[in-house]
Amino acid sequence: MFKKNALTSVCAAAATALVLSGCATPNENIKGKPSVYEDVSTTGAVGGVGIESQDVVAMTDQMMRDMLANPMLTGRSTSPRIIIDNEYIKNESTSVINTNMLTDRLRIELNRAANGRMIFVGRHFSDMVQKERDLKRDGAVDGGTIRQTAAQAGADFRLGGRISSLDAIDRNTGTQSRYSQITFEMVDLELGTIVWSGLYEMRKAARDNVVYR
Amino acid sequence: MTRILKSLTALAIGASLVAGCAPYRSADSTKLTERTAPVTMNSVVFTDYNLSRSWDGGIFGDKERYRLSLVQHGQRPTATGTTEVYAVLRNHTDYDYRIEARTQFFDQDGVPADVKPTWQRSTIPANSISTYRELSTSTQPLQYRVEIRELN
Repeated sequence: MFKKNALTSVCAAAATALVLSGCATPNENIKGKPSVYEDVSTTGAVGGVGIESQDVVAMTDQMMRDMLANPMLTGRSTSPRIIIDNEYIKNESTSVINTNMLTDRLRIELNRAANGRMIFVGRHFSDMVQKERDLKRDGAVDGGTIRQTAAQAGADFRLGGRISSLDAIDRNTGTQSRYSQITFEMVDLELGTIVWSGLYEMRKAARDNVVYR
Repeated sequence: MTRILKSLTALAIGASLVAGCAPYRSADSTKLTERTAPVTMNSVVFTDYNLSRSWDGGIFGDKERYRLSLVQHGQRPTATGTTEVYAVLRNHTDYDYRIEARTQFFDQDGVPADVKPTWQRSTIPANSISTYRELSTSTQPLQYRVEIRELN
């Protein structure tokens, strides 16, 4: 008797569950908003007070043109060897930015535009070069077709720099303002003198709640 | 004599009325002179017609509205043989104007040369002048075309 009642209750519960699940609102396949491409050199749909793509493009473009007009860098009879990487670029600002974005763009654009007036040393690839050199010296591979040198290239100049910022917030309106200062300096790797300097500064104000990653 | 005087007066009133009816062209008008002007080398143009625009005013001559104007422009070689272009701009308003400018370089045959141009931001203080400068990366002789627009 007890078993029959229990069975009836279970069946009723299962039937109710089935009915309810049938009445549940179906998930609608809502059309999404397609992604759009934006010009990297202009302010996009999402903008805040940090360093953004248009700033990266503008500052590296300005530094590249300025370096190529400097006779201490490009007016030499022998093209100087230069290291441009983020090893000595310090981000002391409140902006979240991968400093490789600055140095990579600067090095690549400079290398393309300089057309031999500057020689760039890939110090960030030195371990890769050393591995291949070791294989050649050990006889594991042949000597290649170009040449053999006593050592990897030493550099004449290396880029250093710093990113710093000054923040201010209006607590009444929530408006945030940030002054960003980005410095670039080319250092003589024998003497320690600075042969070229470039400065890019900007101040942005916004109320948008933008998160940089 | 009185008839002639009356006719002259009527003519003057008519002319002044017509002058008042001379068409005004807004920045989005399709009849602005700049929209169809040929592309010229070694020139500076306002691509934002809110900053400066002109149109044909018919019998009353060309009409013009501007907030910014070009004082002078030119180019000179740098110490390394690249080209430096400059443009001196004047702000005729009581407000600071934030602008963007870029320079496109062309070789002597009119072929686009140099790297891709980048917009450079600048501020022209109210009722003042400001200079925009740009450097080329190439050492060959170049022609230029500077474009200016308002910063959004």
